[in-house]
Amino acid sequence: MTHCAHRGPLQVQRPLYPEGEAVCHIAILHPPGGVVGGDELRIEASLESDSHALLTTPAAGKFYRSAGPFARQSQCLTVAPGATLEWLPQENIVYAGARLHSQTRIDLQDNAHFIGWEILCLGRPAAGERFTTGECRQIFELYRAGEPLYLEHGRYTGGEGMLDARWGLQGQPVTATLLCAATRPGLVEILRAGWESLATTTPPGELVTATQLDGCLVGRYLGPSTARARQLFTVAWRLLRPMLLDRPACPSRFWTT
Amino acid sequence: MTLDPTALPRLLQLCSPALPVGAYAYSQGLENAVERGWVRDEASAGQWILGLLDHTLRWLDLPVFARLYAAWGEDDPTALRRWNARLYAAREAMELQDEDRHLGAALARLLADLGMTEAEPWRSQSRVCFATLFSLAAARWRIPLREAATGYAWTWTENQVTAATRLIPLGQTASQRLLVAAGPIITTTVDAGLALPDDEIGAAAPGLALAGALHETQYSRLFRS
Repeated sequence: MTHCAHRGPLQVQRPLYPEGEAVCHIAILHPPGGVVGGDELRIEASLESDSHALLTTPAAGKFYRSAGPFARQSQCLTVAPGATLEWLPQENIVYAGARLHSQTRIDLQDNAHFIGWEILCLGRPAAGERFTTGECRQIFELYRAGEPLYLEHGRYTGGEGMLDARWGLQGQPVTATLLCAATRPGLVEILRAGWESLATTTPPGELVTATQLDGCLVGRYLGPSTARARQLFTVAWRLLRPMLLDRPACPSRFWTT
Repeated sequence: MTLDPTALPRLLQLCSPALPVGAYAYSQGLENAVERGWVRDEASAGQWILGLLDHTLRWLDLPVFARLYAAWGEDDPTALRRWNARLYAAREAMELQDEDRHLGAALARLLADLGMTEAEPWRSQSRVCFATLFSLAAARWRIPLREAATGYAWTWTENQVTAATRLIPLGQTASQRLLVAAGPIITTTVDAGLALPDDEIGAAAPGLALAGALHETQYSRLFRS
């Protein structure tokens, strides 16, 4: 890492190099923990040519009930030619009554590599809290050379039909998307087979799929549990990393703390 | 711009199921939704189809359609490329992208054969959407935006209801009841969709995205999506 600046409550922890100097592991901290309406969190990262970074967060993002203003989270990640970004954050938890506008945009240049995910939890299922009020707009976008490969613009409004609709969230609190900027044939089958081994512990209502879009592999989770989403996506990442990045999976040490 | 009497036959032609683009071969995840029991009768078919109409078409297809239509009117290839690419990248499963590419290319071929030379390059684009070519035909045949967008929404709805009729199956009267119910939703959806500012455009339908991906491995299937 050559340059680091922060202002306000977000902090970048000292980078770690558990795989040697080629791969920089970085955790982004938000020590206050929760975010209230009117707050804005902005993360910008640029990876230089041929660099490799694994970014993560040691704790879930929590967005509290708001009487009016939106909380904003904006994450813009730019990856130069030949560079590799792994974006493996914990989930965002949007409390009932919260108002959140969250945008994660990844710009790949030329032959840059990317694997990453976004995990969203509406309400707090562990506390029996459903997302009956509130508003969440969750944007997850991947571009290569300025061309969009994947644009997901989730619009979740408490009390609206889509939260329970079969075409929408099916009454489930957790929706998550894994993206991998790859088109190699057979990747979808590898993910499906990898997830098969976890199928015996599938909780009711959970669905997990893989599909190959033009320029981008997409894994998707819908279900009751953020821990399950992380577990399934970590399995996918362990399978994809050696194939696409030529490295064995090296779990971030932040995940276990 | 009001609908010219000579443009009305062109609008009906563009919206007809007889338009030779092969739309009847695609269910957009509905075949998987029926297989899973998510859609099993008239009521649940209405929730699926009219719900998506009121969400995905409102927040995504129709506002993009309006920008494509304007771009054809202004002969703006940069805007055409941009909005076509955005709509294509918003399709959340492989078969949903394939469907747009096949229908878009088929309509490009037809329009080129009918003498609309601007359609020619879109026959072989790797990323092309049906809305991109539908809006070209509407612009050149002098169909006003509102009527053209209504036609696009109607075509989508009718194709979904037809798929549901075959898959569930539904009786002919039940299908017609669904189309009657769709009428006022199409009107409000078109109004809202055409009024949407750029930074509000975009949608996601997780259940549809899952059904689209699960359809890829469905054992027995009539439809290509």
